[in-house]
Amino acid sequence: MDEGPGLVSILRQGDNLIASIHTALDDSEMVRFQRNLIEQIGRDRARGVIIDVAALDVLDSFGARTLRTLAEMARLRGAETVIVGIQPDVAFSMVALGLGTGTVHTALDLEEGLAYLGGTHSLPAPDGTEPHFRP
Amino acid sequence: MFTANTARVIGRSVPVMEGAELDGARPDSDAAPDVASLLPMLRRIVFSRVGNEAAAEDLVQETLVKVLAAANRIEPGMLEPYAITTARHVIASMWRSQDTQRRNQHRVVGMDHVDAPDERLLKEEERAAVSAALEHLSEREQQTLLAHEVSGQDMRSLATELNTTAGAVAAQLNRTRARMRVEYLLALHDAEPPTDRCRPVLYAISGGDRRRQREVDAARHVLECELCAKLSEPLLERRPEGENEITIRIQHDADVVRARKSARELATRLDFSRTDLTLIATAVSEIARNIVRFAAKGQVYIELVDQPRPGIRIVARDSGPGIPDIDQALADGYSTYNGLGLGLPGARRLMDEFTLTSEINVGTTVTMTKWRTEG
Ligand SMILES: [Zn+2]
Repeated sequence: MDEGPGLVSILRQGDNLIASIHTALDDSEMVRFQRNLIEQIGRDRARGVIIDVAALDVLDSFGARTLRTLAEMARLRGAETVIVGIQPDVAFSMVALGLGTGTVHTALDLEEGLAYLGGTHSLPAPDGTEPHFRP
Repeated sequence: MFTANTARVIGRSVPVMEGAELDGARPDSDAAPDVASLLPMLRRIVFSRVGNEAAAEDLVQETLVKVLAAANRIEPGMLEPYAITTARHVIASMWRSQDTQRRNQHRVVGMDHVDAPDERLLKEEERAAVSAALEHLSEREQQTLLAHEVSGQDMRSLATELNTTAGAVAAQLNRTRARMRVEYLLALHDAEPPTDRCRPVLYAISGGDRRRQREVDAARHVLECELCAKLSEPLLERRPEGENEITIRIQHDADVVRARKSARELATRLDFSRTDLTLIATAVSEIARNIVRFAAKGQVYIELVDQPRPGIRIVARDSGPGIPDIDQALADGYSTYNGLGLGLPGARRLMDEFTLTSEINVGTTVTMTKWRTEG
């Protein structure tokens, strides 16, 4: 990715892509993230996408809209998207703003997200040890 | 450029004036003048300088809008002098823009270079003014200022050298800088103060020292003294920022993130709840983005307030095209760019108070406040 190190990472996990946002992104970075993820979905023929937004400080109208559009584009390419890790106060402010994630599925965390996408895929091993498998 | 819209905009701004800041909230301040009561005085000033009646009325309105937008940042007693200096400034910029048009006619006939010598001359004038200002400082003040500002020596080592405390050095540096700014402006305008009171008044304004300003009755003097009225305008704008305020220039996407992070940082000092911190950061994100998208350039000023209770106030200003229909812009679902119309109405819903003033071809100001809920 051309974001430079640290902002975002996209890992392939079986049929799924796991994209983690590691810090607050500005609008251009958000759009670049969207583009790169869509490209990678096509390249890897991914069937599911998990976007982990736990590190985002806010999800304002632009951020929420970008994620919605991303999920819609992914769907057109045959992949289902789950957004995980929306912090409680971020969720509250989205509601107050009158924003939602539309038809995009959300889940509490990575594990629940993977469970939603099929429940048979392995979680990434954080320290390079044995991957943890969900039943 | 002024239409009925302006009048409506002024009507909408009035709640700012009734806000806590001016409503006798500072027990030691002068009674707050009603902005509308400034009108006759402003008309007198502007009409005496601008012959064309329609143009003059436009300028009066422009001044009022600017004063209203700034009203909550100004010491109540300073509102009238601020209005006067603003009126002068508005008249001057009208003359300047007419002058610019005239000068730019050279460009049309291919004489681009004519502006260059002017610019060089201006820089030399500025340098000369700095030297002249330095001469007004004592040798010790000069050395301390230069050691800190030019050589980058830190306060602690300066304090050791001068056999005093770092706090005392910082206070002395602030006073010195305040005087530097005044002397610099005097030299730049090639002006000698007409009265003995001018320098103390200008120093007090420059240093942002409110107690001292009252002692020397700065507000009254600025009303009476033409020179101090003129010089106090850049000094008021240059008021040094303390720990409870910050200004962020907004031009690029990254500035939006900087603005919302700064707002969250400042608000954290007031022990806002985590949820409120996110609401504030989100509202700032929305209005800062509006500046980048629609105005290209502007600023977000954030300050902590304590009257009538603790809170955070954000003033976002731009010099963009203005908003032709404010009601529509504030309506939910109003579609502006890419169907993203939630910015302004969204920010309004996240904050406790929200005021928007806008003027076509001049700019837009959003003022919004969130009060800390008593825990
Ligand atoms: Zn004076």
